[in-house]
Amino acid sequence: MIPELGYISLTIALGLSILLCIYPLWGAYTNNLRLMRAAPALALGQCVFVFLSYAALVYASLTDDFTLVYVASNSSSSLPWYYKITSTWGGHEGAMLLWVVMQAGWTALVSISSKSLPWPLRARVLGVLGFLGVGFMVYTLLMSSPFESLLPYYPVEGHDLNPLLQDPGMIIHPPLLYMGYVGLSVTFSFAIAALLTGKLDNTWAKWSRPWTIAAWLFLTLGIALGSWWAYSELGWGGWWFWDPVENASLMPWLIATALLHSLAVTEKRGVFKSWTVLLAIAGFSFSLLGTFIVRSGVLVSVHAFTTDPGRGMFILGFLAIVVGGSLALYAMRASKVNSAGRYRLFSREVALWCNNILLCVATLIVMLGTLLPLVHKELGMGSISIGEPFFNEMFSYLLVPFAFILGIAPLLRWKQNKFNALQSKLALVAIISIVITGAWLYSSYDFVAPITFMAVLLAVWVFVSTLFDIVEKTTKQTSITLGLKQLTNSYWAMVSGHIGFACVVMSVALTSAYSVERDVRMHPGEQVQLNGYEYHFDGIKEIIGANYTGHAAVVSVHSEGEKVAELHAEKRRYNVGMQFMTEAAIDASLARDLYVALGEQLNDGAWALRIYHKPYIRWMWLGGLIMAFAGLLILLDKRYRGTSSAEQRQSGKIKTVPSAEVQL
Amino acid sequence: MSSDNKKSKLVFAVPLIIFLLLCVFLFKGLFSNPRELQTGRLGQAVPAFTLPDLMVDDKLWSDKDLAGKVYLINVWGTWCTTCLVELPYLTKLRERGVNIIGLYLEQGYDPDFDGEFNIQALRDEVSQMLARTGNPYQYNIFDLNRSLAFDLGVSGAPETFLVDSKGVILLHHTGDLNERIWRAKFASKFTELKEVKL
Repeated sequence: MIPELGYISLTIALGLSILLCIYPLWGAYTNNLRLMRAAPALALGQCVFVFLSYAALVYASLTDDFTLVYVASNSSSSLPWYYKITSTWGGHEGAMLLWVVMQAGWTALVSISSKSLPWPLRARVLGVLGFLGVGFMVYTLLMSSPFESLLPYYPVEGHDLNPLLQDPGMIIHPPLLYMGYVGLSVTFSFAIAALLTGKLDNTWAKWSRPWTIAAWLFLTLGIALGSWWAYSELGWGGWWFWDPVENASLMPWLIATALLHSLAVTEKRGVFKSWTVLLAIAGFSFSLLGTFIVRSGVLVSVHAFTTDPGRGMFILGFLAIVVGGSLALYAMRASKVNSAGRYRLFSREVALWCNNILLCVATLIVMLGTLLPLVHKELGMGSISIGEPFFNEMFSYLLVPFAFILGIAPLLRWKQNKFNALQSKLALVAIISIVITGAWLYSSYDFVAPITFMAVLLAVWVFVSTLFDIVEKTTKQTSITLGLKQLTNSYWAMVSGHIGFACVVMSVALTSAYSVERDVRMHPGEQVQLNGYEYHFDGIKEIIGANYTGHAAVVSVHSEGEKVAELHAEKRRYNVGMQFMTEAAIDASLARDLYVALGEQLNDGAWALRIYHKPYIRWMWLGGLIMAFAGLLILLDKRYRGTSSAEQRQSGKIKTVPSAEVQL
Repeated sequence: MSSDNKKSKLVFAVPLIIFLLLCVFLFKGLFSNPRELQTGRLGQAVPAFTLPDLMVDDKLWSDKDLAGKVYLINVWGTWCTTCLVELPYLTKLRERGVNIIGLYLEQGYDPDFDGEFNIQALRDEVSQMLARTGNPYQYNIFDLNRSLAFDLGVSGAPETFLVDSKGVILLHHTGDLNERIWRAKFASKFTELKEVKL
């Protein structure tokens, strides 16, 4: 009964979103205010019914309603209640419904918070969002409904949730990513609406910015969490695999990063307009492309989702309409956009332009590496696989100019700079960075590869130049507290974003260079040494969980005669699916992770163990969090929440070009 | 001025054009199985190798021994259940006059863990299995370290390559070979080559 209601709710929501797509867009086209005014109510109504539908699925999962195909194949009665809830997005159908929920949620949020937008723009934004909603709802209802019934014959027990997904990290990883993917659709809608109205002004950029940043924030957290989960759960000690599905999340993130920088330029200086619009379209396009890659099975990936050509065809069709349509619109309209501002070669505009170019090149490299195997094979040139070495090499090349510019850009001013004025500053920063890097690396390690030195140097360079800038800005004022007060939220956001990035680069460089791993066979009582730590294999103990049994290797770790940690590396066997899972045991600290994963028992009673020593790896995810914090700072900025007066209170240095008509 | 305008309009259409091209490939991709692998060596010569015979001590085979004949290289192993199904069909092919050379793929041998490789045990296993299914092979190349398999782009077993008399790889099939696949993929090429030779 309840699942049927869920299905009906979703159908009603589809009806509402069809209206949401037609009324406001038609109204904006014919200048009919009454039609345009229907949009917010439709958006809210759609949201309510989608949520009801999702609630029905959650209810079915919590009450072990195995008459549903979805619940029967993604849950079981012995599953803890919180995993029963998360199982609603553990499978393809439920994940798509969650996507729809988020799409509806974002749409409702936009309709609530866009009251001060002029009707033609507001109606078009909501109309475009409605159109996207229609696409995803039709897909969910026709191609992948989680409400499909098994009646009259249904099992008494479900297949259980994939044990890999039974992990706290996995509870929030997909929703965060989806929030990001779908969030980019808001930016996309703003861009399309702006192209339709033909007004690509600062208002548009200003409105898009908080939404882009919110989406970017979720993507950042989602990716960082996914990487952390892969590291702690999969037992292979890695944190990034360049798998197509990982790449699918990285591409929108790179574009979103480029976009939020470009939006800043467009908002403050009125330049790069057409470029910014293209990025706004590209961001969501890559989200959709990612969905296609993940859901269609055109590429081999460790993330095994459904591979149904019908579904792939639908998404590809939708992709072609949405992306093809918007790019066609772009091709027609963007040439009419003029960028008014002027700037010199040595200015912040150009630095940000370089940032954009490099980020887009990075995106293209990821796209090339991901899709080339497909293209290569379809051209009849045989199968190839593109893996880590390609991406790692390409990204090392890109990092050098990127981090170099990242260090300089904050010191530059808008419009133009005299190079001489900066010369001595930059030289000083460079010297300090080299000294710090050299002292740090050569004092801690016997061997320093040039590439490691370079990468750490770049991270330190970003760090030092950012600090340098803060010091300079605060000491200009009469007192430091006054100086600190004068710095805006968005300035601190920049600082936090850049320092977070530096942390990630530092961590990747050091972890890649100085990780040590050993595969060992050990009998209980034996011990091995790795990087100054002694790992003593105390023995094997049985473990019994709610829905699994297994055994854990107890390994105590000593350093210089003192016990550092006792690690329990588990091998679990999940009762329902009889699947084996490795739970690596990790002793984490800011300077290093000690990581033990349990392998198989060998013939003579010994056990295979894998031991890693990974320096500074925590900083990768910490860096991600610091970056994400930047997004939070901007979202908390009064300018994006308050009214027009907040904007005028902005420091006088930044002159916003007055925008026609629309005042916030 | 107007030609300038046209040019700049074209620039803005570039993303659309790239996207449409991409769509063509994505569309084609929907209809091909990504797990079905095609060796990157199609149209190229069999990579150089010198490897021991599986059953006879001290006998070595190299790429030069292969020249002059049209033949199949069949990748297999006793651990591979699909091969067990495939072997009787291959034996039939041999009876029809198809030259088949086996590339024995040892799975998961790790010198660090497993110590000295016990070749005699493997030979016994192979003899037992071939006694049951019939022996389609002229001889078997033993690729303990999977080096030739790696060069050929083998991802598992069974896989079959069609090589012409000049030693050039013409076909690569992943999965078992049966009458249907033979007719669809191999037969026409094979007879064509035979005719050329005759």
